[in-house]
Amino acid sequence: MEDLKLTLKQQIIESLNLQGMTPADIDDNAPLFGEGLGLDSIDSLEMMVLLERNYGIKIEDAREGRKVLESVASMADYIAQNRKI
Amino acid sequence: MMKPVYISAAAALSPQHSFDADGFLPDVVSSNNGKLYVQDTDYSKFINPVAIRRMSRMLKIGISTGMRTMQLAGIETPDGIITGTGRGSMRDMELFLGDMIRLQEEALNPTYFIQSTYNSINGWLAMQTKCTGYNQTYVHRGHSLEVALLDAQMLLNENEAKQTYLVGCFDEMTEDYFVVKNKAHYWKKTLPDSQHLLQHSDTNGTIGGEGAAFFTITNDAANAICSIEQMTMLQEPTPQTVQATIDSILAEKGMRLKDLDMVLCGMSGDARYQPLYQPILENTTAHTTVAAFKHLCGEYDTSTGFALWLATRLFTAQTIPEVLIQKKGINPTIGNILVVNHYPQGTASILLLSTNK
Repeated sequence: MEDLKLTLKQQIIESLNLQGMTPADIDDNAPLFGEGLGLDSIDSLEMMVLLERNYGIKIEDAREGRKVLESVASMADYIAQNRKI
Repeated sequence: MMKPVYISAAAALSPQHSFDADGFLPDVVSSNNGKLYVQDTDYSKFINPVAIRRMSRMLKIGISTGMRTMQLAGIETPDGIITGTGRGSMRDMELFLGDMIRLQEEALNPTYFIQSTYNSINGWLAMQTKCTGYNQTYVHRGHSLEVALLDAQMLLNENEAKQTYLVGCFDEMTEDYFVVKNKAHYWKKTLPDSQHLLQHSDTNGTIGGEGAAFFTITNDAANAICSIEQMTMLQEPTPQTVQATIDSILAEKGMRLKDLDMVLCGMSGDARYQPLYQPILENTTAHTTVAAFKHLCGEYDTSTGFALWLATRLFTAQTIPEVLIQKKGINPTIGNILVVNHYPQGTASILLLSTNK
């Protein structure tokens, strides 16, 4: 699980072009949106694409998506249980 | 008859040091690979750091040039924003279309799509300047900037109250664009040093370029750099229609050819289009300086923007850098400039600028 979280952080930094950030700067449990990393709605779309492209996961329900994208930890949990690739 | 409008501030990001440098065209930049790219600046000075991470180079170039123009004009919010672009954000569009093919239209990144739309720069400028007024982007190939200017002129002519519009243009060159246009024989087969481009006007083709230029256009003559007295767009221009249009513009203003202080020409070193400028080179009198600019910025849809920016600098500096001069006139001052420019897809434009209020 720790390896997955590290990979996920690297993928988030790359896909959202978070210049100057390293995986160590992202807390596993900190909120990704709002106060935490300060991401916005376009970033959430980019992360949905990230999940689909790298793990074969398609989230159709917006409410479920909000829960999954809460933090790196919640994303990693969901990936571990639902990944197709 | 349309009333003149006035340019009160101008900024350009171009292949030359036109943005931050002191002086007028210091250290002329040249290239020998057929491409002249914009000299980058510190875009973070003009764009929110959270937003900038998602932006392509074209967006950064366009937004920074627009914001710099607003700074120079001392205006926080314009009455409207009007731009022209021949191609928009090419790089983002190529990335999006490339992904569509590679990923078979599945799981496409939204950012490339959102930011590749032609009006992205206008949208960002509107948000950054809190401008909720008129907002328009024209995509009319070689007449894109000219149509934006015409729109601003018509809006300003309708108003008695003082208004200021932010008007600009932007176009970028990508590797793919260069390859595609090469198939259409746009570029020279033997590439000269760009500074010597115009000495190769006996062969077909030119060099590629890119850039952004923005202007605050107002109906208030006070503190203006110059006025746009007349502007005419031509389709499928010929040497005869170019000369007739110049004659008509001058006649309407009660001027003669010998009254022109400078003609700034868009000759591009391409033998196919050089005849458009031949009447100017032959008919202008000893009074008039004939200058050129495409060896400094390359050929692109909205290169008239670079010429307009150059004109504003010429008016304020009252000196003509040697690198521009094709035929030196004896007149020591610059009170009016005629800009004559063409684009290879059958368009040309002629603008008469003046400092006479």
